[in-house]
Amino acid sequence: MPMRARISVLGVHAVLLAYTLLAILPILLVVMNSFKTRNAIFGSPLSPPNAETFSLIGYVSVLGKSNALVYLENSLIVTLGSMFLVLLLGAMAAWALTEYRFRGSTLLVLFMSIGIMVPIRLGSVAIVAMMLRLGLNDTLAALVLVYVAQGLPMSIFILSEFIQQIPKDLRDAARCDGVPETRIFFEVIAPLLRPAIATVAVFTMVPVWNDLWFPLILTSSDSTHTITLGVQHFVGQYTTDWNSVLSALSLAILPIVVIYIIFSRQLISGLTAGAVK
Amino acid sequence: MAAPSQVVASMPRARFAWLMLLFLGPAVVIYSMFSIYPLLATISLSTYTTNETGDYIFVGLSNFVTLLTDTVWSKPFWNALLNNTILFCVHMVVQNPVGVALAGLLSLPALRFRATYRTVIFLPTMLSVVIIGFAWTLILSPLWGVAEGLLKLVGLGSWFAPWLGLPSTALVTLSLISVWQFIGIPMMLIYASLLNIPEELVDAARVDGLGQFRIFTHIKLPLILPTIGMVSILTFVGNFNAFDLIYAVKGALAGPNFASDILGTYFYRTFFGYQLQVGSPTMGATVATVMFLIILLGVCLYLFFVQRRMLRYTF
Amino acid sequence: MATLRIDKLNKSYGDAAILRDIDLSISEGEFVVLVGPSGCGKSTLLRMIAGLDGVTSGDIFIGERRVNNLEPAQRKIAMVFQSYALYPHMNVKKNMTFGLKFAGLAQPEMDRRVAEAARMLQLGPLLERRPRDLSGGQRQRVAIGRAIVREPDVFLFDEPLSNLDAALRVSTRVEIAKLHRLLGATMVYVTHDQIEAMTLADRIVVMNHGRIAQTGKPLDLYYHPANLFVAGFIGSPAMNFFSAKVHKKGAGAVTLSGPGVPAFDLRAASFAAPVGASVKIGVRPEHLGAEGPAGFRIAGAVELVERLGETSYAHVRAAEDVAFTAESRGRDAPKAGDRIILSAHDRDLHLFDEDGQRIAIE
Repeated sequence: MPMRARISVLGVHAVLLAYTLLAILPILLVVMNSFKTRNAIFGSPLSPPNAETFSLIGYVSVLGKSNALVYLENSLIVTLGSMFLVLLLGAMAAWALTEYRFRGSTLLVLFMSIGIMVPIRLGSVAIVAMMLRLGLNDTLAALVLVYVAQGLPMSIFILSEFIQQIPKDLRDAARCDGVPETRIFFEVIAPLLRPAIATVAVFTMVPVWNDLWFPLILTSSDSTHTITLGVQHFVGQYTTDWNSVLSALSLAILPIVVIYIIFSRQLISGLTAGAVK
Repeated sequence: MAAPSQVVASMPRARFAWLMLLFLGPAVVIYSMFSIYPLLATISLSTYTTNETGDYIFVGLSNFVTLLTDTVWSKPFWNALLNNTILFCVHMVVQNPVGVALAGLLSLPALRFRATYRTVIFLPTMLSVVIIGFAWTLILSPLWGVAEGLLKLVGLGSWFAPWLGLPSTALVTLSLISVWQFIGIPMMLIYASLLNIPEELVDAARVDGLGQFRIFTHIKLPLILPTIGMVSILTFVGNFNAFDLIYAVKGALAGPNFASDILGTYFYRTFFGYQLQVGSPTMGATVATVMFLIILLGVCLYLFFVQRRMLRYTF
Repeated sequence: MATLRIDKLNKSYGDAAILRDIDLSISEGEFVVLVGPSGCGKSTLLRMIAGLDGVTSGDIFIGERRVNNLEPAQRKIAMVFQSYALYPHMNVKKNMTFGLKFAGLAQPEMDRRVAEAARMLQLGPLLERRPRDLSGGQRQRVAIGRAIVREPDVFLFDEPLSNLDAALRVSTRVEIAKLHRLLGATMVYVTHDQIEAMTLADRIVVMNHGRIAQTGKPLDLYYHPANLFVAGFIGSPAMNFFSAKVHKKGAGAVTLSGPGVPAFDLRAASFAAPVGASVKIGVRPEHLGAEGPAGFRIAGAVELVERLGETSYAHVRAAEDVAFTAESRGRDAPKAGDRIILSAHDRDLHLFDEDGQRIAIE
């Protein structure tokens, strides 16, 4: 490789490396220091924990003083629950809207698309009132309903794109085969939507897991808090207890990082596939 | 062939109606009830006010007038609006160019470790804003000294200041933190868009003698403008809807001294009340409606101007 | 098995007319091929018979039943698609039985039908495999098997061989012909390939721009094309056309001549066109032979010769705007640059008037 080209390749890598460091350093610092003693945190913040400075005191205190496990469980229920519903209802709606043209179906498509741009939070005043009226205030169900409403437009949009890629001959063949319409959807179309799950997951699961707003305004008791809200409360409460704070943050970071590393290839390809309009 | 399905035509009316109900019903109902209706209800609520006995009285647009002119309400409102605009500008100025640059670098042919870079740079986007906010608060905290220490390493120690604590720098610092976190998404979208550019165009340019940088500015950049447009409007909607980061780092009062107050936090305070201020659903609804109108305006402008031009760039 | 009757069928999408006044009657057990260039409407017609596209006006009868408003499943038809349309996530056996489940068939009956179809199409060893593990030819056989197990009244084929490579196309074509003989089923087959039409059909329906140009047995269409379009469509390489004018009409003969075509007499007891009328003379490349004593004659310079072994095609230029193709057999073929003179028998000449319709010659 000619000298000039070699320098520019090095330059590219230098820039990318620098930014990568910038991206990961804060996270690394938090996680690293969560395993150190208080003195070590302040004394040598940049070094990883060694035999002397290693300490789990932060984690012990977090798990002891808060319901971290309950919060995690709640987050899991809400996130998985809303993702399941968004996928199921979104796929059914996307199928009905792309496959069956009837009077008003175009208007319906437009109606459902509004939600992509308009943030649902702005209706919070009425949402809180409605949840009270429905008797759903301070329940996980309220969160699930809100997140499903929020996630449906985007999911319908993405799933419609995927559905249009399924060869039309397949449904024609199923019709000639005498397969009833509902069965066509559940047994022929739905299995072929598996690749779409990754894309919808990226757009749905992550914002739901990380959301602070709705748990803040819809849940009041400790037992219904999600992990995001729980961490926020905890850190706000124990700001000077650096061990606990760092450990709480790490506890919230680690599940996502683990899941992310396992699924990173699918997640990223899902994101790029969904973005190709 | 976009023809109505024959199956629709030959199915008995009742069965078709039931089928549509089954497939569309749940989605439409949940969406309308928890997305559209609350929005409309909020807009409607903004035209009412409560009196001492708790009844609602219709007052038309007077809430809006109050919000925009009565100093008790309008001063924090205009402050929040200004801050929100600054937030958006910082994002546009920093996030988009850096995102484009990163995407451009990542899409270079035969780049080693491409997947690793991509994965790591995208990691912060996956994390909760709360976590990010706190992590950065700790890092930038003068007590801990990590940031100061790192800057000293590169000889910029004199630059350090408790940025998050100073009214003059708090907002910009928080904006940069937000950019740091969310840059993954524009980066990925633009990256995907760059991948879509046909190889042949790039090859033809190389045969014509253009270097990689020129290829990027003259060939790739014009073709990804539609995506940049989309990223911009998503940033706009996201920024004017923002709340989580400011709340997590600064609390509902968005200090220091309301220097980081944006529309989202102002809305929260107005609706729920905070410390000395009593919550007012009607004024909260008013703030929400104004936020909605601002976002709607932005989206309409985008659809009108940008979308029109985008048609010229499609293949 | 059933008959198929189409009465005054019309189809339009908005203002665009796709099919106009289609009348067609197919007997029980007949193999009918719909053939024509892209956009002629043949696939649309097939889909309307299947019930996948709706009728704008007119009627479709399968057997005695008027099926206009019936769903595909209720019409007792089975369709084989160009893209095979196999369910990717089901194995071959499941692909074939999936539809039968909903017809209320019991398991033993389904198994029997699958075994029978598998035997006919040699699908036995493939039953457990998924479509993605099969070759193109195997997938097509599975698609055909899926149609067979339905025991339909009418089989519909939508360009089933178009996705196969040339060699496979020939062998699968033969298999379909044998299948028809075995089952004695009513089959409607769409293709754009006139060779498939000629070899498979009991009757061919040539379509053009949404109308039927001519219906008839393959050889009838070959020897007696009713119009310019059918004459030029059937036969490969295509028929040569020469512009000419009617010079004079005498008792029992007509004199014709045109650019590149020296005047010659055509024996005709009656001739529909008047003197001075413009006509087109059609002659197939295989009917141009050595120079003969009288009748149609044409001369020119050979520009290019394509040799396919024993058969050769010479591309000849007779005049500025007049070029034609001639076929010759045997080891000796003309060479580029040669000047040749060729003749054709009266009986091998086809004459068409200004509207492209056949001129009757007695």
